[in-house]
Amino acid sequence: MLRLLSIPAALILLMIGAIAWSSSQSTPRADFTFVIPRDVLTLDPNQMSYLQDFRLAYCIWEGLYAYDGMTLDPVPGVASSVDISPDKRVYTFHLRPEAKWSNGDDVVAGDFLFAWRRMLESPGEYSYLHYYIKAAEPYLHAYADFLADPDKNKKPDFSTVGLRVIDPHTLRVELENPVLFFLELMGMPAFFPLHEPSMRQYREVDPRTGNVTYNRKFTRPGVVGNGPFVLKTWEFKRRVRLEKSPTYWDRGHVPSNSIEQLCVEDMLGEVLRYEAGDCDWIPEVSSEVGPEMVSKGRNDVHIFPGFGSYYLTLMLRPQFKDGSDNPLSDLRVRQALAMSFEKETICDNIMRMGEKPATTYIPPTIFPGFNVKPGYPFDAKRARELLDQTAFRGAKTLPGVSILYSSNTLTFAAMAQNIANQWRANLGLEIPVEQQESKVRRERVNNKEYSITIGDWIGDYQDPSTFTDKMLSTSVNNDSDWKNMDFDRLCADATRETDPQKRYRLLERANELIDKELSMIPLYYNTNQYLFRGNVHGINLNPRNMTMFKGVWVDRRKGS
Amino acid sequence: MLNFIAWRIAQFPLILAIIYLITFAFVWIAPGSPFGNQERQLDETAKLALERRFHADKWYKFLGNYPKQIILHGDFGPSMQYAEWTVNDILKTSLPVSITLGLFALVLGTLIGVAVGTLAAVHRDGIFDWISLAIVLVGISLPSFIFAALLLMIFAGWLEWFPVGGWGSFSDIVLPGVALALAPMAYIARLSRVAMIDVLSSDFVRTARAKGVSRSVVIWKHCLRNAFLPVLSYLGPAAATTLTGSFVIERVFSIPGLGQHFVNSIQNRDRTLILGATMVYSFLLLVFNLLVDIGYALVDPRIDVTAKGS
Repeated sequence: MLRLLSIPAALILLMIGAIAWSSSQSTPRADFTFVIPRDVLTLDPNQMSYLQDFRLAYCIWEGLYAYDGMTLDPVPGVASSVDISPDKRVYTFHLRPEAKWSNGDDVVAGDFLFAWRRMLESPGEYSYLHYYIKAAEPYLHAYADFLADPDKNKKPDFSTVGLRVIDPHTLRVELENPVLFFLELMGMPAFFPLHEPSMRQYREVDPRTGNVTYNRKFTRPGVVGNGPFVLKTWEFKRRVRLEKSPTYWDRGHVPSNSIEQLCVEDMLGEVLRYEAGDCDWIPEVSSEVGPEMVSKGRNDVHIFPGFGSYYLTLMLRPQFKDGSDNPLSDLRVRQALAMSFEKETICDNIMRMGEKPATTYIPPTIFPGFNVKPGYPFDAKRARELLDQTAFRGAKTLPGVSILYSSNTLTFAAMAQNIANQWRANLGLEIPVEQQESKVRRERVNNKEYSITIGDWIGDYQDPSTFTDKMLSTSVNNDSDWKNMDFDRLCADATRETDPQKRYRLLERANELIDKELSMIPLYYNTNQYLFRGNVHGINLNPRNMTMFKGVWVDRRKGS
Repeated sequence: MLNFIAWRIAQFPLILAIIYLITFAFVWIAPGSPFGNQERQLDETAKLALERRFHADKWYKFLGNYPKQIILHGDFGPSMQYAEWTVNDILKTSLPVSITLGLFALVLGTLIGVAVGTLAAVHRDGIFDWISLAIVLVGISLPSFIFAALLLMIFAGWLEWFPVGGWGSFSDIVLPGVALALAPMAYIARLSRVAMIDVLSSDFVRTARAKGVSRSVVIWKHCLRNAFLPVLSYLGPAAATTLTGSFVIERVFSIPGLGQHFVNSIQNRDRTLILGATMVYSFLLLVFNLLVDIGYALVDPRIDVTAKGS
């Protein structure tokens, strides 16, 4: 009998050992803790493109300019001042001498040059923002050609790019065009400086081309940054911990000593952690739990307008991939589709998080002074008339047309079905719906093997061009393949315009073309949803969904 | 016996190589790229640079690079989705978590399962039989995410006996362990009940009882050894599955285990991570099947495992 018991006893001992082996060391609770459903994908400013990556990058690094925590207006960061030439094409930044890296080194102009050059030579998703700099775009492509075939193509000359280090504390940037929102861009991670000396140990040099790349492990704890916080711990898909930087120039305005990000994939688990008091902030509340919390009248659910819209992207090529005619290439068909379904039901019954029905691509309220005219209203009768004018009068369906959507977003299936039902009721058209996994859907949209799909666009910076650029005939993001020469010309004129008012008028006219020509049918303007209690300070409710932890703190005296 | 073990182990590399190639073929033909994922598209130049960096532009470059590294250095390469981390980093941090949790669940499941099954067989049609029936029914038919959510709501939400999720201390392991143990417990209870009923009616039991051996000694010593055989054959694959983690349980209790990577890596087309996770799982499966075969020989001397190998 004793011998029999020895087996379970041994197993239990083994288990206790295993727990010790697999558990992480516990640290005291951070001053501010928040929970997100996914881990950051990368902390390399060169490669990042996701919101959760940006959020931490703003803690670890700081650009020439930064964002005010509450208004998100650009404010001086590493640069204490800037001289802008009268034609607004030359920016001379003066770096503050008190700006330090977390290892004590001075932040100098060369650190920016190094990081920006890396953006061009090892391009990432946001390298295109550097195209505003003189000769940066040709340099990026020439360098890529050189890497692809070093025997045939010459290594391009970096000195052609409009970047000059005048002295360690002065950086001159020459632009292709007057970019009126350039200071705003200077706060983005794509323009952060990097500390080259500490990255040297991760250097990998290709012997054939001399091309230098860096193992991305350089972003692990120990990474040298110049922001308000230092990365202390990063346990994959568990937690990230930041601690206040002792060398940051503006450390007097950093109220929290530590910030912790926990990773909880399950929505219910996330909310339970919040209810248990383990965390102070949840930056996205899912539609699985959000509406119920709102209906209970809770005042810690904060719903506010977002910085973009959801829409049906329509593929506009005259023919589909298989050679058959695309009914959507007829504007009247697109108008009929756009006017024959109500978006209120989608907002109220499917999304349920305060979304507003949309008739335009750009939300009308996000750019003060930028006028957005309403687009096509719901008018089923007029829609029928328009359809009757086309070859599809009395048709039962539109050949080759279906609604494609990604299965990874829960609400899309209900949305697609709802729209198809309304089209059947109001136009008599049977449009099938088609669900695909997000990667498959993406590939089909890239290859233009689709007709209608649910898409969205969230802007990056406080200027309408962050939306209109997507629709340029040369843009990789122009999924509908909409080509309008008037639109391209208006946008190009706007790019050269130095007067902000005139520039807005040009972009307004361009934007009107997008809504009129219906390369997309707007569905709703998105919202952001935060969950935090009244004792949390410094979190803004700006549509851009950017939180600067520099000024965030929790008042523990009141309790929660 | 040693020959048998050596022969089985010698087969491992070939089996693993075949699994690697088949998995690779599926991974490669699956539509979608590991790079770029959202509405904003990756510039063609940037995409090419990434593909070159990860040897993901051509299938022969992928196969020319990674398998060699795995064999020479045991290095599965960098994760394509989380490029700061190598697949080895991810396996090293997540596998211990899954093994710990899985071990707990397996021990719990086996002990309770065998006990319930045995008691049910002994007290046939009695109260224990009904209890065992209930456990089996619940364990087999109730999906683990429902059971896990119930446990979470009752013991973490209302009673606040256990934390709602996370990993690090013994209290974190209890709820997910119980949730994970439910299914194997049910199977084991059923298997051992049937086997026990069979054994209890055999001649040697009657003889032992007739010789005056006490009832409990007969049941727990003589019968259990025999009744344990079907449970043992179930334990091999069950151990491999349980120890490599459960996607559902890990998600509900936010446990940083390996199970999540089986699903997420495929959704992300994270080719290196898919292959790494598959290879670890396959390796464990092979090892546990071998252990089960060895276990057979130890429990039942009549079984000659070497006969299969020669």
